Amino acid sequence: MAGEEKKPRLEGRLDRLGRTVVRAAASNDGEADAAASSSFLYARLRARIAAETARREEGEGWLAVLGVVWRAVPAMALVAVLAFAMFLTADTSTQTQQGFSDEALLGRNGAGVEQVVFTDARSISNDDVLATIISDENREDAR
Amino acid sequence: MADNSDIEVARPAETSDVELVARVVGGDERAFEELFNRHRRRVALIAGRFFRQREQIEEIVQESFTKAFFALPDFSNRRDASFASWVARIAFNSCYDELRRLKRRPESALSEVTEEEAAWVRERLRADEAGGGVESAAVSRDLAGKLLSRLEPEDRLVLVMLDAEGMSVAEIAGLMGWSVSKVKVRAHRARARLRRALKRFL
Repeated sequence: MAGEEKKPRLEGRLDRLGRTVVRAAASNDGEADAAASSSFLYARLRARIAAETARREEGEGWLAVLGVVWRAVPAMALVAVLAFAMFLTADTSTQTQQGFSDEALLGRNGAGVEQVVFTDARSISNDDVLATIISDENREDAR
Repeated sequence: MADNSDIEVARPAETSDVELVARVVGGDERAFEELFNRHRRRVALIAGRFFRQREQIEEIVQESFTKAFFALPDFSNRRDASFASWVARIAFNSCYDELRRLKRRPESALSEVTEEEAAWVRERLRADEAGGGVESAAVSRDLAGKLLSRLEPEDRLVLVMLDAEGMSVAEIAGLMGWSVSKVKVRAHRARARLRRALKRFL
């Protein structure tokens, strides 16, 4: 019982001491007045504001660039989609019309560069090449 | 010859803060200097509640007025508030930010209270028990600063506003933009934490 009665009294004492501590820590008017009347305080403030203004303007420049980039994102995405669509259509049409084969392009059969080159002109067969050579030789013989 | 001794010279009415703010927003730098000169002491006194060193107080004054300068267009849109309370709010928030920054630094150790100072606290508590009156006791400023550095920044802010500034709960709520119940809860917790900090010396 006595302990329970003592507890509020102790807390009251601690609260009062706490208030005194807070007031003591906060009583600093002399230094505050000295700081407020410090020479060149306004000049330093203006310098700080000028520096902050410059920093913000620099930041705004970057923001403007980011804004332009942000606005360009939809257009760039549209261009990318169109390019992809064109790539797909161009790819299939080449395969059907000119007979491109992946094997020829990738050289899986060890055909090398030559085969890729000749693949572009696959309409010319070996017989055609031979016929051209033979006809050239015949022409030279005729001379 | 006319006697002019009893004729009062009409002095121009002092420009109000709101008018000065409007002029600053319009680009008049002299008006900002006038605002600074009017309110710098109040801002320095607020900073002095939390910081001991003159350099720290000057730093808070500069920080507060820099923030105020860039936020002046916001203030000019709020015709209901006074500039003094608005700049005081900025100053308290600047102090709060600085307290939080200092709290993160490792040098604010709790073991700074010397045995002599601890004995002093114990003596004050005993003096109160014997009817000596703790309220009237002069506490060493250094010790008080050390004790308060043990508190969280928001606890210290609320306690200084209540006990040192003598502000009411409603005034704190209005100044900081908090609800009344939030201020009450914070004050209650802050007092409990300060009690715990002091109890360690018993």
